[in-house]
Amino acid sequence: MPDSDTIRSVEQFLYREARLLDERRFHDWLQLFTDDVHYWMTARSNRYPRSSKAIAILDADRYAEADLDDADELGLFDEDIRTLTARVARLDTGMAWAEDPPSRTRHLITNIEIAPDASDSELTVHCNFIVYRSRGETEQDFYVGARQDRLRRVDGAWKIAKRRMVLDQNVLTAKNLSIFF
Amino acid sequence: MTTEIAGLVDTQNGMISRRIFIEPEIYQAELRRIFARCWLFLCHDSQIPRPGDFLTTYMGEDPVLAVRDSAGTVGAFLNVCRHRGNRLCRADDGNAASFICAYHGWTFGNDGRLTGVPNLREAYHGDLDRESLGLIPVAQLESYKGLWFATFDPEAPPLLEYLGEMAWYIDTFVDRREGGVEVIATHKWIMPCNWKFPAENFGGDAYHVQWNHLSAVKIGFSRGVTANTHSTQRMASPGNGHGLICVGPDDVGDPPMPEIEAYEREIAAEVRQRLGPRANLINPIVGTVFPNFSLLRGTSRTFRVWQPRGPEKTEVRSFVFMDAAAPPEVKRAIRQAGIRGFSPSGSFEQDDMDNWQECTQTCRGVVSRRMPLNNRMGLGHERFDPALGAWVSDYRFSESNHRQFYRRWAELMAATDWSAVECATARNAEYA
Repeated sequence: MPDSDTIRSVEQFLYREARLLDERRFHDWLQLFTDDVHYWMTARSNRYPRSSKAIAILDADRYAEADLDDADELGLFDEDIRTLTARVARLDTGMAWAEDPPSRTRHLITNIEIAPDASDSELTVHCNFIVYRSRGETEQDFYVGARQDRLRRVDGAWKIAKRRMVLDQNVLTAKNLSIFF
Repeated sequence: MTTEIAGLVDTQNGMISRRIFIEPEIYQAELRRIFARCWLFLCHDSQIPRPGDFLTTYMGEDPVLAVRDSAGTVGAFLNVCRHRGNRLCRADDGNAASFICAYHGWTFGNDGRLTGVPNLREAYHGDLDRESLGLIPVAQLESYKGLWFATFDPEAPPLLEYLGEMAWYIDTFVDRREGGVEVIATHKWIMPCNWKFPAENFGGDAYHVQWNHLSAVKIGFSRGVTANTHSTQRMASPGNGHGLICVGPDDVGDPPMPEIEAYEREIAAEVRQRLGPRANLINPIVGTVFPNFSLLRGTSRTFRVWQPRGPEKTEVRSFVFMDAAAPPEVKRAIRQAGIRGFSPSGSFEQDDMDNWQECTQTCRGVVSRRMPLNNRMGLGHERFDPALGAWVSDYRFSESNHRQFYRRWAELMAATDWSAVECATARNAEYA
């Protein structure tokens, strides 16, 4: 069980990150990642569980009931530090029309839970998020999901070495993912 | 009504009434005259490879179940229970011998037959003809190079006639190597726009790329081809409403990732030989099969359906595809290029939504709606090229394909049946 100082430092780190995103301080946000980061998001499928009586399964070996594909088949983001940096650079071109004028976002981070195998230098933290986006005049989107981050301590500060996110939608109702999570 | 609708498109002069993007009655007529009659894309073979594999999709707004039966034959049916009209299968995909309706328990085999009705004897007194109450099949179902298409209209011309020369152009996306392609990722999302805006865009709007997508080009998500630096770029339409943007045979349109570029260099000669002499003349990078199936090879590899969801809404079902024979590291790179380029988060794709949305929503204003849309770019400067089997623009930008798209649209909206719809092959032959 991680000590309360560690828990507090992780919480503060995640809250600060959320604030950087909402303030559109994307270059500062990029500094929170390690150079070897893998940033990944997926959506969920809509499938009958094996126990369902809505179908009689023909080929049990082929039947998949998980609503998350194992081979990251449904990826919505699959980024490294180079492509994350390029995405931020795109916003600086003055021609990133999906964000011009910019979306207004609010990142809400909850259910922060640090995995028990935490060490002083590296740990895994789970959290849930609601990201509210207001766009144009009256457009609204809610992006709701879960996040699993691998944090690494670099020069005394936490950095994100791996981020795995799941959006709890099958067909996305938002027209795009032009913001960061 | 439908004659009046057809009159809203003046292809001779390249002018279109914006009523066709917003008015509910016109949208309903489209569902009847376009979507209930045309060949529509269902799925790729690699999505349902084994007996029992199924997936659910839509043709127009009609829910459809595509399933490979226990004997291995692919069928496509209205995903609607014959008893109370409940949607039968509610999962995206899976593998099934039979489907059981959640309302009263009617059971249908994976070949569509009605196999089970609770209390059949006691409640129906033997007065229910199960044979005639199987799932309603599509009128015609055909596969072209692993792409399954279906139509609800028994009078529709055969798929190959409907595609015409577009068939060869489809080959340049899905039949470049032995074994064809396979789907390696899926994206589904809703866009607040009329379905025709993305369909016409992928079918021939090269003009928007240099401005709409310049940010993505600038920061390196694509090589020059999508910035329209190639003077060889042309709009090409084989007719029947289909259209493509093509570049020269040696112009590179691939995602700028080293694994992909090395792979493409390695297979270039093999691909050209397989596709035949026309591949020495032209290189298609994006296109639309009328009405709502688009294929893309520049910057990402995806084919997708623009599913109509009312005049102001479109559901995108997009599939990243790759040559089945490509090595795993190339497939991985293609999947990443798809996510990063053309997906809800795609650096190209995300900049299209607001434009299509605003083009649709400004039609709500009755005065704005009166403003005719101008599709006159390059009018009178396209010509039929027999070697390409297509109508080709004389410059790298033109709205010649838009005119072909809306000409077909108007033709179908006016025609009471397929006999009144012109066949491009016959028309093109007059010019060849």
